[in-house]
Amino acid sequence: MKFKEYFAIPKVNSGALQVWSRNFLYFKKTWLVSLFWIVLEPVIYLGAIGFGLGAFVNNMNGFSYIEFFFPALLSTTAMMVAFFEGTYGNYTKLTHQKTYATIMLTRVGPEEIVAGELLWAASKGFFGVMGVTLVAMFFGLIDSYRIILALPILFLLSALFSCIGMIFTSFARNYDSFIYSTSGLIVPMSLLSGTYFPLEQLPTGLRYVAYLFPLTHAVSAVREVLHKGPTLWVGVHVLVLLVATWVCMNISFFRIRRKLLK
Amino acid sequence: MSTNVAIEIKDLTKKYDDKVAVDGISLEIYKGECFGLLGPNGAGKSTTMKMMYCSALVSSGELYVLGLNVKKNYREIKSRIGVVPQEDGLDPDFTVLENLLVYASFHKIPKPEAELRAQALLRLMKLEEYQDRSVETLSGGMKRRLAIARGLINSPEVIFLDEPTTGLDPQARIWIWDFFKHLKSEKSTLVLTTHYMEEAEQMCDRVAIIDNGRILTVGTPRDLIRDLIGKEVVEFDTNPVDLNYYLGRLRAEGFSYQVIKDTVSVLIKENQEGRRVVDLIASDKIFIRKPTLNDVFLKLAGHQLRDE
Repeated sequence: MKFKEYFAIPKVNSGALQVWSRNFLYFKKTWLVSLFWIVLEPVIYLGAIGFGLGAFVNNMNGFSYIEFFFPALLSTTAMMVAFFEGTYGNYTKLTHQKTYATIMLTRVGPEEIVAGELLWAASKGFFGVMGVTLVAMFFGLIDSYRIILALPILFLLSALFSCIGMIFTSFARNYDSFIYSTSGLIVPMSLLSGTYFPLEQLPTGLRYVAYLFPLTHAVSAVREVLHKGPTLWVGVHVLVLLVATWVCMNISFFRIRRKLLK
Repeated sequence: MSTNVAIEIKDLTKKYDDKVAVDGISLEIYKGECFGLLGPNGAGKSTTMKMMYCSALVSSGELYVLGLNVKKNYREIKSRIGVVPQEDGLDPDFTVLENLLVYASFHKIPKPEAELRAQALLRLMKLEEYQDRSVETLSGGMKRRLAIARGLINSPEVIFLDEPTTGLDPQARIWIWDFFKHLKSEKSTLVLTTHYMEEAEQMCDRVAIIDNGRILTVGTPRDLIRDLIGKEVVEFDTNPVDLNYYLGRLRAEGFSYQVIKDTVSVLIKENQEGRRVVDLIASDKIFIRKPTLNDVFLKLAGHQLRDE
């Protein structure tokens, strides 16, 4: 495996948009079920954890619990939706449905398939974020222009987990393979990345481990930008996410291209 | 390269890790002909075809489709050919019509044009009343017809069909072969794989018989039958005890034959008489028949069962 091959910029043409549109067409047909899991589920979390549990917490560094929790909810929604689309969704199209093999019969090549799918899963994660944002606005949780600054960060996070999902797809042998990534990575991350409680509550060793989680950086960045505005720390966290996305994107291009064209 | 050649193959090989799937094939397929790749399962015919339609990488050798190199110009090749893969590959997320439109979008056919072509193809393939049905609800024959319609949506110059009638009922098979005759009459170039020898014999202008990744022979079905088998075949059943005795008598008279278990097929050449065999053999089950491509196939590829 050549180092250069991993990090060459993939040449992608507009076929990627057709791949994206294929998924969007299906999304439009099934929007109701999507609405249920990408928006309703987070909204229930918002109610149960934010308002329910949060009612017992008085003060989180000068913010209410729901103000503390809401940035984390946006981030985990982006992560979960993009990751599940990138794993189960892509794996189905790669194997059982042979969707990619069929697309390969046209002038759309493997690079466009990967690019289109990565962009799609990222978009779907972002749709989830938008849905939760709209509901939160309805409940009066968002009262600041700062949400505009948070949205690009959340899209970047969706893109990162769309790439990570694609990498797991390239290694998966069957659907059960994804249990390792879900239970071993996604669920612990969603609990320990400063989501439900501040990182300071973690034992010292684990706190440093938590900084290896991309979600930690996303939650920190979104929380910082919503609470304080665009500070230097936001930039640092975003930089970490950008580098991670770049690396994971190239790995997923390399892995899936080799799977599609033998 | 002359302009009437659609596909030109020189010393083509394909290796998967340690396994050689295609082992040095050279071949020319002409424009307007229906060319059949025949061979047992695992012979390398589908792999050869996959390289032609640019879904498998060439390990070594040269392969030109419509004068274009598959290693460099695969995008242009793919926009000028149509492919009907063995496993249909229809998108279960969509309806019949949507399958065609989505596929057309990958070919960058503008939406209004795609709608027109899709409707015309659905009429041609007798699928227009199912256009809003989910592909999951279609029968095997309808799915194959839709896969063929999909392969034609970009008005291809060469059409590749991998086992187009495998797994279909007799009616659906007849319908599809009739449709191929229609395509042939429109001067399309057809390249197909099949194990149905009778169909290949009727449909294909030329065939190549492939086994173990190599071409055993190429020619028109008629020439292959005449040169390799003869003018007729006398077939008889015998038992293991008498078999060698009969074979000895046939050899003494200069007949060649092939034996499959207890059935002997005697190949009657132009200068021989089938009646003579009937006189030599005392069997209740003996008859004279016309030779087929199946005889050629069995002679060249043998009759052992293939596991894959």
